[in-house]
Amino acid sequence: MLVLTRKAEQTLHLGDDIRITVLGVDGDRVKLGIEAPRAISVLRHEVYLQVQAANTAAAIAAPDRQTIAAAMRGRQQPTDTRGVRA
Amino acid sequence: MSASADASTAPFDLPQFGPESIITFAHGLVGQPEWKRFFLLTSDDAAGLGVLQSVDDDQLALMVTNPRQVLPDYSVELSTADRSLLGLEANQQPMLLTTLSVHGTQITANLVGPLVINPRTRVAKQLVLPDSAYTARHPVASVATEN
Repeated sequence: MLVLTRKAEQTLHLGDDIRITVLGVDGDRVKLGIEAPRAISVLRHEVYLQVQAANTAAAIAAPDRQTIAAAMRGRQQPTDTRGVRA
Repeated sequence: MSASADASTAPFDLPQFGPESIITFAHGLVGQPEWKRFFLLTSDDAAGLGVLQSVDDDQLALMVTNPRQVLPDYSVELSTADRSLLGLEANQQPMLLTTLSVHGTQITANLVGPLVINPRTRVAKQLVLPDSAYTARHPVASVATEN
């Protein structure tokens, strides 16, 4: 990991197309401004980890898929106005 | 201002590609860059359920459904860059899938990380929706139901 120190209002260039500016520092919070092409996704790490975890958890063995399928069939459909079947 | 498209599809249908059609995620899934190629298996009687079976790993299969099954109003805005990466033409709508997983007795759907598929080329990408109202563990159903 490349480690740099910046003060407020200082900028970093990543490659030719990306700039990150420290807009301000307030206690333990750093406000960052990011200029990047739309093709570059910018994600909070926490969200990245949640999606990664959901992907891992979605890898389900066949017997458990049967259980899930049964539960999904038994649930009330979004437009179903009948009561939930027991 | 980027072009956006509401990814519409028949309410609870899953894409019907046929088992010979391989869906390819060029960069894999988020945090799983090796998970690139899948068949989509669906069964006729399922409540809009499918399985993404890995082409390269027999043991890897993900349960998926149409996110509209979970949330009828679910919509995803695609950036111009994503539309271009997926090879979607101007008026072409992508297909959406959401993965299902079990946490305790809850089945949940990852609505913040939809799988977006070009129905014609089967090129796919997992998007992560920024600042989204959706969660990675949207509750869908209970596994243990009481009588």
